Amino acid sequence: MKKLTKEDIMNVDPLKKDLGKSWIKVGMSTCGVAAGADEVYSTLIEESKKRNIEIDIRKCGCQGACSVEPLVEVNVEGLPKVLYGRVTKDVAITILERHVRNKKLLHDYIFEIN
Amino acid sequence: MQKKIIYLRDTDSAQQDRINDFYTLFSNELRDANLQEPVQLVKIADIGLYEKGITVKILPENIVYSGIKNTDVKRIVEETIKGNKIIKELLYEKKSKQMRAVLKNCGYIDPESLEDYIAAGGYKALIKVLLEMKPENVVEELKKSGLRGRGGAGYPTWMKWNFARGMNSPEKYVICNGDEGDPGAYMDRSVLEGDPHSVLEGMIIAGYTIGSSKGYFYIRAEYPLAVERVQKAIDQAVSAGLLGNNILGSNFNFELEIRLGAGAFVCGEETALIASIEGKRGTPHPRPPYPSVKGLWGKPTIINNVETLANIPKLIAGGGAKFASVGTEKSKGTKVFALTGKVKNSGLVEVPMGITLREIIFDIGGGILNNRAIKAVQTGGPSGGVIPQEFLDTPVDYENLSKLGSIMGSGGMIAIDETDCLVDLAKFYLKFCVDESCGKCAPCRLGGYQLLRILEKISEGNGELEDLNKLKKISYAMQKASLCGLGQSASNPVFSTIRYFEDEYKKHIVEKKCQAGKCKALIYFKIHPQKCKKCGLCMKNCPSSAILGSREAGYVIDPQKCIKCGVCFDVCKFKAVMKE
Repeated sequence: MKKLTKEDIMNVDPLKKDLGKSWIKVGMSTCGVAAGADEVYSTLIEESKKRNIEIDIRKCGCQGACSVEPLVEVNVEGLPKVLYGRVTKDVAITILERHVRNKKLLHDYIFEIN
Repeated sequence: MQKKIIYLRDTDSAQQDRINDFYTLFSNELRDANLQEPVQLVKIADIGLYEKGITVKILPENIVYSGIKNTDVKRIVEETIKGNKIIKELLYEKKSKQMRAVLKNCGYIDPESLEDYIAAGGYKALIKVLLEMKPENVVEELKKSGLRGRGGAGYPTWMKWNFARGMNSPEKYVICNGDEGDPGAYMDRSVLEGDPHSVLEGMIIAGYTIGSSKGYFYIRAEYPLAVERVQKAIDQAVSAGLLGNNILGSNFNFELEIRLGAGAFVCGEETALIASIEGKRGTPHPRPPYPSVKGLWGKPTIINNVETLANIPKLIAGGGAKFASVGTEKSKGTKVFALTGKVKNSGLVEVPMGITLREIIFDIGGGILNNRAIKAVQTGGPSGGVIPQEFLDTPVDYENLSKLGSIMGSGGMIAIDETDCLVDLAKFYLKFCVDESCGKCAPCRLGGYQLLRILEKISEGNGELEDLNKLKKISYAMQKASLCGLGQSASNPVFSTIRYFEDEYKKHIVEKKCQAGKCKALIYFKIHPQKCKKCGLCMKNCPSSAILGSREAGYVIDPQKCIKCGVCFDVCKFKAVMKE
């Protein structure tokens, strides 16, 4: 990697953080991993390929809502940013199909905590 | 029409079916108004409000209505959804009680990506420090900010840094204390795992300020993921030129290394931590000299907690005065707490200093599980104390908590309800400290053990009133004579539980009763013959065959065989098993 300069840091585009307009973030700290975030993450990657759903799937740290891990945050154009809690493998697949593809939010898994 | 989303949630915990009725009501109204297409109706799992009735949130406008009745549904659809008008009398003006500064990036950026951190505004503070500020300016900003150590004692950070800066020594060290060992506390782990670069940036700034060129991350080995991510962050920073020689074109050099803690609680104490890094046995030694004068390898050293260092970049970028605008007179900024125990939403919360315990437990934590009554809050882990429920409205800051006999500590906060026994709790924390005592000094090694024995005696029903005085005496001696913070504070849980819950101790001693039903020697189980429906479930589940009887004659518990596990109490559907 090339050495960063002052300009590189000062002129960075803050929007780059949310690469693309659609993304899924999976909370992958110890608390999330202990609750099964690893499996959710790999399910999302595999199933999105299998189902031809194009979306940027990324790892992130802990959001703090430890009682409802694993946490998956989804941002799809045209819908508000949504935080899903207690996500299992099956729920992960439903998120891909219902939320990402059909743009319908899932019942009973959204946590509006903050 | 613009697309809308309605979030629907019953915030009362008692009535579970009600939400489906409201869902039907809303969808019927939407159908009648022909709005099914543009409006999505979603039942959600948590809306951030508690005990406020049926609550809806309308997006994208972010309107929250609470306490909705059947009759309001039509109005909401007509006026707000169709007519874009806000119904004032239903409106709930929700203000978030949380304030995220340290945790701002946790859960939002990829912790393994330097790009992400920079895109979120990272390393701007470092540029400001290296290219525009002198070390004394940094100390000046810290002084203005009023930042105090987040590790527990609350020592002003600027003083620590200033001492080390003033020392004339060619070698100085910066240490990040990530040896988080309190039971129930995991704030530092989350920061290290979720936003490692912010701690790195804080350390580089610390190095520049005191004139050090070498820093150590001391992280406990039980946090493998944190270690992995910090190592990755260090590697990225080295290859990007943020660590190493001539950082960002300045003439400042700094390098970082990780050292693993091998699982001793006492190594979170700074002098023991230094010994551990030096490769010696992790035991504390008397202060002064303080580490800022004579620390690692005998050189001036500053040791800061993870959360303190994670505060630094935002503090520098925004300026000390801005940081000081949040908080109380003597405690500034925000504090991260690990909220656990009998609370509905356990997890990490970050709140401004000065918020009350009640707000944290009830507004953020959602109240107590199963709607039981709250009895006390424990803060500060094994070095802290309990705060009874009558003081729940105390604003949280360093001074107030220590006035109440507890401490801020690193940020563990455990809610205790009526089913918890305070004698048992004191015993638990003491057992932890006895196990973790390094054994170097007698007050801690012997005092802790004796305290534990007395507590065990009380919880077994053999206590005498004189024991209370003994507990107080030994606790006092430990506080005054122990070598380090571990021994000095190990008796805090005992002290504070006696201070507020002496009655409960006396009940154990005089009446030989444990009201919460936690001390096994003091409880026994009984089957109420009138309430018993003779189903036999208790007998089937009893692991020690202590339940005798038949479906015709009913059942009794044989006290000789009963091991007091409480299984019968839990399985009985008719509440016929009683705990006394």
